[in-house]
Amino acid sequence: MKKFENYIKWIFVFFLGLAVLFPFSIGAEPQGKLIIFHAGSLTVPFAKMEKFLEGKYPKLDILRTPGGSTKMARMISELHKPADIMGSADYKIIDKTLIPQYADWNIRFAANQLVLCYTDKSRFAEEVNAENWYKILARKGVVWGHSDPNLDPCGYRSLMVLQLAEKHYKAPGLYDQLIANRPKENVRAKSVDLVALLETGNMDYAWEYLSVAVQHGLKYVVLPDEINLGSYKYDDFYKQAEVKVTGKKPGTWMTRQGQSCTYGITIIKNAPNLEAAVAFMGYLMDPNGGLQVLKDMGQPPFIPCRVSSEAVKAKLPLPIQKWVEVKN
Amino acid sequence: MMKAKRVDPFFWVAIFSTVTVVLFILFPLIEMITQPTFNDLAETVKDRDVLRSIWLSIYSSGIAALISFLVGTPFAYLLARKEFRGKKLVESIIDLPIMIPHPVIGIAILGLAGRDHWLGQAMQSIGIQIMGTVTGIVTVLTFVGLPFYVNTVKTGFESIPVRLENVSRSLGASLTGTFLRVTFPLAWRSMIVGIILCCARAISEFGAVVIVAYHPMIAPVMIYERFTAYGLAYSQPVAVWLILVCLVLFLLLRIFSLPKEHKA
Repeated sequence: MKKFENYIKWIFVFFLGLAVLFPFSIGAEPQGKLIIFHAGSLTVPFAKMEKFLEGKYPKLDILRTPGGSTKMARMISELHKPADIMGSADYKIIDKTLIPQYADWNIRFAANQLVLCYTDKSRFAEEVNAENWYKILARKGVVWGHSDPNLDPCGYRSLMVLQLAEKHYKAPGLYDQLIANRPKENVRAKSVDLVALLETGNMDYAWEYLSVAVQHGLKYVVLPDEINLGSYKYDDFYKQAEVKVTGKKPGTWMTRQGQSCTYGITIIKNAPNLEAAVAFMGYLMDPNGGLQVLKDMGQPPFIPCRVSSEAVKAKLPLPIQKWVEVKN
Repeated sequence: MMKAKRVDPFFWVAIFSTVTVVLFILFPLIEMITQPTFNDLAETVKDRDVLRSIWLSIYSSGIAALISFLVGTPFAYLLARKEFRGKKLVESIIDLPIMIPHPVIGIAILGLAGRDHWLGQAMQSIGIQIMGTVTGIVTVLTFVGLPFYVNTVKTGFESIPVRLENVSRSLGASLTGTFLRVTFPLAWRSMIVGIILCCARAISEFGAVVIVAYHPMIAPVMIYERFTAYGLAYSQPVAVWLILVCLVLFLLLRIFSLPKEHKA
């Protein structure tokens, strides 16, 4: 009889164990649709992360919509499109457009910076460097371009770099001198369009994000932090750059002020699939996971990711709190 | 006379498909044309940039059609009249620009114009620029429009009895003389139609042009720019003007090329 009682005991323990583990086993497997809105420049790394996570969780279906960050944020705040995660090329957009109504917190997870791209065949390719690039761009016969400041943030950021260069290298009049050597024909709608011009040998130098340069395997000049819009420590210096871009209708204008290219990400309040969103964030912020992917693709990640205060950190879902530090 | 006419069911099928096709084309266009207010349209037509882009579109498409006419006509004649080895291949090559994705065309043309290509070097040494120039735009538009011209005119030549040309030749006229005095007067209407088709194709091109030249802006590029920068409300009026101008131009060409005593 003793033996039988023992059996009963073990069976009981077994089922108790099952009962305790069962909810976790459901919870551990993110599934269903996960909707992510993100900046166009995050497309390549996010696609890679999507592939990895969908491979790991076969029931998970990540639906990404890339687009201009301002536009994507407005789709949430004005058109009330359902979304779980919003990744922005400018972390301030999340602060301005989504917090407090549509999001509670904002994590800075990566930076980007402007670089001057070129190829082997570009004129003066052997001698260009961080010290002399602006002299080369001013030379006659050198064909260089940037994207349309009215359509593409990379376009006005390129112009900001030139303005900041004038201050940094103490070369008054540099900006006007450079623009005078850049006929309107060298401006394209999107910065990525310039890559084709470089590769076909129609253009010598083009302004791109570092990530674009790396992803397309271009050569590039890395500029000092003071002017490359890559470090938010220099936001006060960047602020001096101002570019006039078209406003809401033809003939009207507004001013864009210089600031660092710092990427921010948040989970939208009342996210339809919070569990999967937390799983994605957990992978994105893992230094051996998403941050490594970003690094490989030329988008320098913050390791660890950053939030602005302890109060913000306390608002994060528990599983991802370990991946952030409080740092400004 | 009161006998009920028996109408072939095909008649009704034809009526149905006519209505469907016309609605299919007109419905989205009417929707777009009726969106902008007269105020928007008036404002847009005062915009110098808009006028310049529409003019550039018409002008560069016109040149593309002219080039197609000059080089395409003898070529189409050859295809219509002569049988030779590899003719099928040549005819397929003509159709290639219709099938190739537009951005690929742009990149291919830029590739030739680049500094690391001998052709690009040669062109640059004599001052021909492709990137960001009207020359580049016309090159692209000719590339995409030419097949429409050649195919149309080839069919036109084929419909002219060879017999007439043979008579002319047997009476001692040269090949050139026969072409100019017999074939051309009989085929010029198909050439007009070819020019219309070529122009129409050229005016609508966007994908290849935007790669070769963003500035100066042809109308489709400007419509895209306006849409991205300001939204639908400011791109539609430009589109409406382009459609109206093209409609008038093509209508005139059609009327002009219509046979006076058309009774066939």
